Amino acid sequence: MKHIDCKNYIYLDCEKGMCALSKMMLPIDGKGSEACPRFVMAEKCGCCANFDGCDEHGIGTCAGFEKKNWTYASCGAAGCEHFKMR
Amino acid sequence: MTNEDKLKELLKSRGIDASGMTDEAATPKQAEGCGKLIDIYYTLKNTVDMEFPYWYNRVWQENGSDVIIVRRAKALAAAFAHLTPTIQPYERLVMNKTRHVRGAFPFPWVTASFFNAQAEALMKEASAPSESEADSVSIIGAGGGNVTKSYGNIISIAKKFGMRKEEIPVLVKTCSYWDGNSVEEMSNHYAKYTPQFDIEQAIMDSVLCMFDSYCIPQGREVINYYLPLQYGWDGIIELCDRRIAETMGESDGDGLMGMERGYYYVAMKHLAQGLSRWCQNYADRAYYLASVETDAALKKNYEEIGGVMAHIAHKAPSTFRQALQLTLACHYAEVNEDPQSGQSIGRLGQVLQPFYEKDIDDGVTTEEEVIELLEFYRIKITCIECFASAGVTGGVLSGNTFNNLSLGGLNRDGLSAVTPLEYHIIEAGMRCRTTQPTLSVLYDEKLPESFLLKAAACTKQGTGYPAWMNNQDGMNFMLMNYGPEGMNIEDARAWCLGGCLESSPGCFLPLRYNGKVTWIPGGAGPTAGSGVHFVGLPKMLELVMTNGYDRRINKQVLPAHNRKLDSMEAIQEEWVRYMNLTIDVLNKVNNLQMDIWRKYCPPVVSSLLKADCFAKGRGLGMMGGRYNATINFESCGTVTFVNSMASLYRNVFKDKKYTLEEMLDAMMHNFGFKTSYETGVFSPDFREATDEAPKYAQIFADCVNAPKFGNADWEADQFLKWYEDVMFGLTRQYKSYYGKPLYMCQISVSTHGPQGFITLADPAGRLAGTTYSDGSVSAAAGTDKNGIYAIFESATIYDHSTQQNAQMNLKLHPSAVKGPQGTRKLLDLVRAYMRKGGFHVQFNIVDSKTLKKAQAKPENYRDLMVRVAGFTQYWCEIGKPIQDEVIYRTEYDD
Repeated sequence: MKHIDCKNYIYLDCEKGMCALSKMMLPIDGKGSEACPRFVMAEKCGCCANFDGCDEHGIGTCAGFEKKNWTYASCGAAGCEHFKMR
Repeated sequence: MTNEDKLKELLKSRGIDASGMTDEAATPKQAEGCGKLIDIYYTLKNTVDMEFPYWYNRVWQENGSDVIIVRRAKALAAAFAHLTPTIQPYERLVMNKTRHVRGAFPFPWVTASFFNAQAEALMKEASAPSESEADSVSIIGAGGGNVTKSYGNIISIAKKFGMRKEEIPVLVKTCSYWDGNSVEEMSNHYAKYTPQFDIEQAIMDSVLCMFDSYCIPQGREVINYYLPLQYGWDGIIELCDRRIAETMGESDGDGLMGMERGYYYVAMKHLAQGLSRWCQNYADRAYYLASVETDAALKKNYEEIGGVMAHIAHKAPSTFRQALQLTLACHYAEVNEDPQSGQSIGRLGQVLQPFYEKDIDDGVTTEEEVIELLEFYRIKITCIECFASAGVTGGVLSGNTFNNLSLGGLNRDGLSAVTPLEYHIIEAGMRCRTTQPTLSVLYDEKLPESFLLKAAACTKQGTGYPAWMNNQDGMNFMLMNYGPEGMNIEDARAWCLGGCLESSPGCFLPLRYNGKVTWIPGGAGPTAGSGVHFVGLPKMLELVMTNGYDRRINKQVLPAHNRKLDSMEAIQEEWVRYMNLTIDVLNKVNNLQMDIWRKYCPPVVSSLLKADCFAKGRGLGMMGGRYNATINFESCGTVTFVNSMASLYRNVFKDKKYTLEEMLDAMMHNFGFKTSYETGVFSPDFREATDEAPKYAQIFADCVNAPKFGNADWEADQFLKWYEDVMFGLTRQYKSYYGKPLYMCQISVSTHGPQGFITLADPAGRLAGTTYSDGSVSAAAGTDKNGIYAIFESATIYDHSTQQNAQMNLKLHPSAVKGPQGTRKLLDLVRAYMRKGGFHVQFNIVDSKTLKKAQAKPENYRDLMVRVAGFTQYWCEIGKPIQDEVIYRTEYDD
């Protein structure tokens, strides 16, 4: 897993974020982007039990709402009323 | 005793508090937490992601059976409610446009054609393997947060934003839904029915007009915070329920809009619920961060944030901090609704004064804590980005979003409106020097001297703010323009700036708080822009001289007039004829664009946060606001045009040294110099001769030496007077989509760069492609020879209160205003201009040598800010043509 998938990751920009625990800058890509042992999975569509059928672009189906619809794995779900960690 | 001490003593003896005249070095540093946030800010890239548009799109799609305003409210509410909340350590005020700090996103419901046309190319780019690891994680260069090129897993969008590759398929899929349905495409469909649409298209191709209205349909307006401050989101939801019960199914005697009220309140209820959830999500995130935080101070900070956000998620604020945070939430909500610039904060220091006053009286907070919060506020507003096309974002906005905060002016009773909190807003601007919010002083003779001195002390720090606007001019304009809609003197006093300089209507509403009623000012009309967007006046003159043919793009733009231009009057007549035609065709198309926008993409957030919409139960797009004659015609290059006219008059018609054909020939040959397209330098002072230079040397000298505006010389200034008089009547012949007359907005923003770029050499000796003069009454750089007061004389040759604004930029060397006496001198300068009736003046107080060094090595000047034309921007984030223009502006050192 990568830092960007961690609940303690604070989004900054398209290149990097910050660790809420260490306050260190964390790259999204390349060296230093791998998660640390304190990793906690963040709520995202990709790790939701209602997410299925993910294609090569990370796009799958959300079945969490009354109407099924497409969604994408990296979409944040911290505010989603139907999120269920897989 | 020094002269400065004597001056302070003298002022004190007259009852004037001179503490605002502090020496430059006396301003305390920014709060520690702000410093940390700014250090991070300087490393950040502008980032686009798809969370907001994804949720908007999904919920919009799923609710096709709703009436449009409800459908849109549901879509927006879902988007707000599902945004990932981001809170940085050390922040005291929170919320962002997106999960990224300098985040933005596309609005495919407004415009999607670019992405749909590029879908295949974007997907290909997203699928391409990254560059080497080293390349993929590093990009170094000028431009601050701008992502001007793709690299690694980042795709450059609009030459400003970075989007991660994995989001590109989401972008493409989301945009495909809007193919043919966006405001842009729907309005294009109907625009083809407008008479002379081919001419409109040619005008846009030539960039005689800068951009279409749908590009930024909102902004250049002032938020009204009254409802959420008074009722909170839960209170608004309750009010909606009550109003739904009262109005649903009732026409109230009105066969059209009466029935709309029920839908309006349903829409507002959904929106308020979404905004409430958005705030609650931040509270939840703050509490989570507090739960994992080990540092006691940071933990406490997160807990406080959680408390503030949980409170304002439901209730009306009961402290200053809660009230400030709520206004920030409203601001972010506004700027997420549509692509927009110039969503103005209004007179925040007057709106929040009751909360500040109570907290200070109760000992809940201290003045230092308030200043610190206001510093944090500056950083939050600075982070607001606008996603639009490269032309709009870079060419017009220079990356700024013009969130203007106005100070001063008069209250409802006609007395000074200055509050103690406004002193702190200025102080925060001095300590925490960021580009936004820019500050504007509504100068009035009734304002306290100590306040004006404080503001002058801030201006002279070189931040470019506050700018100075003439309150009486503004009020007079309000009464003239909105009088037919019933504006009285009380409402006229509530005006302030929307956008950089767009005078906007307001009103006072009674906030009940702390056991008393305070009449707080706020916005009362829709966008005070979004009419005809920036017509290049010098380009129009060029077309008159070339019989309507644009020699840059080799195209007939305007119909040939085929007239022998044998007098100044003939040129003036043809110029007016061309201008009439241009406004006519542009206005019709822009009216269609905005009509489609208000019908199919109606404003919802701004229909809650604008006076009278809620009371009437009517959306802002349907004239729910109190005043609606807000739509303008925007011009660019006024003084470049005036100087060109003056040179034609002197050299061709008065002295008869050259024929018009000889003048045109010299212009077509760029007076024997290389063009800026060839040299890459856009400054008027840079010239590289070709072999033809000697042939044109004399005519070039005569053009350069012809009378110029800004020297109190009637021969040149008369053309400004003529132009203003003509345009006053001309613009008012055309009606906006609200059925109200247009008026002139005379700010250049950054359009003097690109519109200068598309204009050939002019009769005043400006070379092809070089930047126009900035503002509307700034002298062309290097041509003002008689001092600042001569510029004032020239600029006030007409009544500034007849138009929405007039713009004057001055550049002073820091030595000219050094020390406390310099503060007084600066205020005297402002006062002199205001007393002559000048509407606006703003200052760059910076050494040109510093700017040149910064242009050569931008990486060493990341925090350097300059005033462009109505806004302050980081030097390294503005384009070279504007940098060249700012460097070349005349610098006054005494």
